[in-house]
Amino acid sequence: MLDAAAPPKKIVEVRDLKMHFPIHAGVFRRRVGEVKAVDGVSFDIHEGETLGLVGESGCGKSTCGRAILRLYDITEGSVVIDGREIGHIPQKELRPLRPRMQMVFQDPQASLDPRMTVAAIIGEPLVEHTGLSRDARLERIYELMDAVGLNRNFANRYPHEFSGGQRQRIGIARALALNPKFIVCDEPIAALDVSIQAQVVNLLEDLQKRLGLTYLFISHDLSMVRHIASRVAVMYLGKVVELAPRDDLYETPLHPYTQALLSAVPDPDPASAEKVKRIILQGDVPSPANPPKGCNFCTRCPRVMPVCHHEEPAFTEVAPGRFVACHLHDGTKIPEAPAAAAADQQGDAT
Amino acid sequence: MPDGAMPVLDVRNLRTVFRTRSGEVHAVNDVSFDLRPGELLGVVGESGSGKSVTMMSLIGLLPSPPAEVRSGQALLDGRDLLGMTPEELRKVRGARVGFIFQDPMTSLNPVFTVGFQLTEPLRTHMGMTRPEARRRAAELLELVGISDAERRLDDYPHQFSGGMRQRVMIAMALACDPEVLIADEPTTALDVTIQAQILELVKELRHKLGMAIVWITHDLGVIAGIADRVMVMYAGQVVEQAPVKELFTNPQHPYTRALLQTVPSVRGRRVEKLRVIRGQPPVLGAPPAACPFRPRCDHALARCARENPQRIALGSGHDVACFWDPATGEERHA
Repeated sequence: MLDAAAPPKKIVEVRDLKMHFPIHAGVFRRRVGEVKAVDGVSFDIHEGETLGLVGESGCGKSTCGRAILRLYDITEGSVVIDGREIGHIPQKELRPLRPRMQMVFQDPQASLDPRMTVAAIIGEPLVEHTGLSRDARLERIYELMDAVGLNRNFANRYPHEFSGGQRQRIGIARALALNPKFIVCDEPIAALDVSIQAQVVNLLEDLQKRLGLTYLFISHDLSMVRHIASRVAVMYLGKVVELAPRDDLYETPLHPYTQALLSAVPDPDPASAEKVKRIILQGDVPSPANPPKGCNFCTRCPRVMPVCHHEEPAFTEVAPGRFVACHLHDGTKIPEAPAAAAADQQGDAT
Repeated sequence: MPDGAMPVLDVRNLRTVFRTRSGEVHAVNDVSFDLRPGELLGVVGESGSGKSVTMMSLIGLLPSPPAEVRSGQALLDGRDLLGMTPEELRKVRGARVGFIFQDPMTSLNPVFTVGFQLTEPLRTHMGMTRPEARRRAAELLELVGISDAERRLDDYPHQFSGGMRQRVMIAMALACDPEVLIADEPTTALDVTIQAQILELVKELRHKLGMAIVWITHDLGVIAGIADRVMVMYAGQVVEQAPVKELFTNPQHPYTRALLQTVPSVRGRRVEKLRVIRGQPPVLGAPPAACPFRPRCDHALARCARENPQRIALGSGHDVACFWDPATGEERHA
């Protein structure tokens, strides 16, 4: 990891990003509301690091990843990638910037054209964005296949002839084709078997080291994120509720949602499974079209206070590099202090 | 667990084959296991390991063709399920063997109310009248933690959230008080916080109702938390079987050992580099003549290429199908 000495360079700076999707209804398809999929998200990603973005389905993590790469026209906010503001520039101006930022999708089956050969899939970005000759292009395709551990002899095969893990390698090779600096990995291992997941994760790590890549790793798998990420952001209902260096987040989560989320992950060890005190959240995630007033988590929070129902908590830095949006940590820079207040609160609840 | 009690379900030498245009696929190869009363048996394996097909074969839920149960015996309270007519099997399903599937949205019918779907098995299998069945259905919804049960009977599946739908599925599976419940990846489609809710519910219910459960999953974490005994499957066969603590503390088969090391943990020590099981699981065109895990195994011996190891009992309910002995690093001596 890049340490203290010089402040690491920021590759991605996201400020107050909002992505709202309109809801139309009725005979005249009038706009009756909006789904606030991403509702005011801010974070930085430093050069060479992996920022893990975790959360449950529907929390907006994938939308966030896509919005950052401007696969959507964002509602509000600013996105700076590698020093260039891309939040609101038109798609035409974005096109020359695309080689720098790429994406690996969840479902390699759906993101690869079944009628294109592997060589054509990996070579497509080269055709679009570079003036390479046919031979030079093929050379680069072979190079990429070697890099992701695919046999060169399979260049003329079609995606269906490969297994899930190999298809994901094709997707990774395509993302690498134009030497990007920043890659959004959207649940890249969710569709794979456990024994194959480790292969793909190790490949992503090797490539990062070798090519100095920066990742935004979107996943619902908290144990895999703990393995791959250097910092982790936790999303709930369109907002980042906590962002911290990996070890801090997993050892001493501050937000009640992060605490519940981590405690809910089953451990592959019966001894520790008995020890862990699970926080079982009641109910379900509210609809992002109609989020609760105040804190988004107030409907399910085991430590909810009256203030949570009418005032939205600010996303503040409570310790160096540790951000949390929760009233339990209001007006303090020391994470220990609110513990007492929290204990009182729990007393009330029981 | 009441050891030595008569098993509720006793499966011997089950073989299931799929006949496809490109030849046969041997999905289940000589699987034997038993399920004791009140026990929760975890079945772990990757996709294609045959864990679902094994269970579906037992109760005739596989479309035939292409599936074909070649041989075996499956005794449910002394009666062989594999020899039953479709009509007899239908009486077993729902009434004596309950099911929960992975995706509650595809297993509930979207055009009928939840109440209708819950009362249907009660009326056909238990001969209840409409009002009786409705009363029982409301009880069942309450049992699985759905509030305002009476009113929610008139709701359609889409009016329930994912976790609630899975609760409805559980209620349906429990409707006729089955002796055996087969749960096929019941929490895989759910988020972790919802999964935790469902796992708590199952833990509570199994003690209340005392049924035997087969829990199929690929998630070792889920198994560690709820199972009494675990069976690990690979390439259509059982490679290891042991009581849950024994399996996690003293795994014997190289596949089980590798699987346990390849999964990172949220709480334990963090490893710098994940252990990889190289290659990928085989698709078997014929019953394996050698150990099917051999090409991916770090400890393969010469013998592994010549014969397929049979399960050897190691004592205290632990058995393994492997020639290699992790204690000595050499071939196991019987």
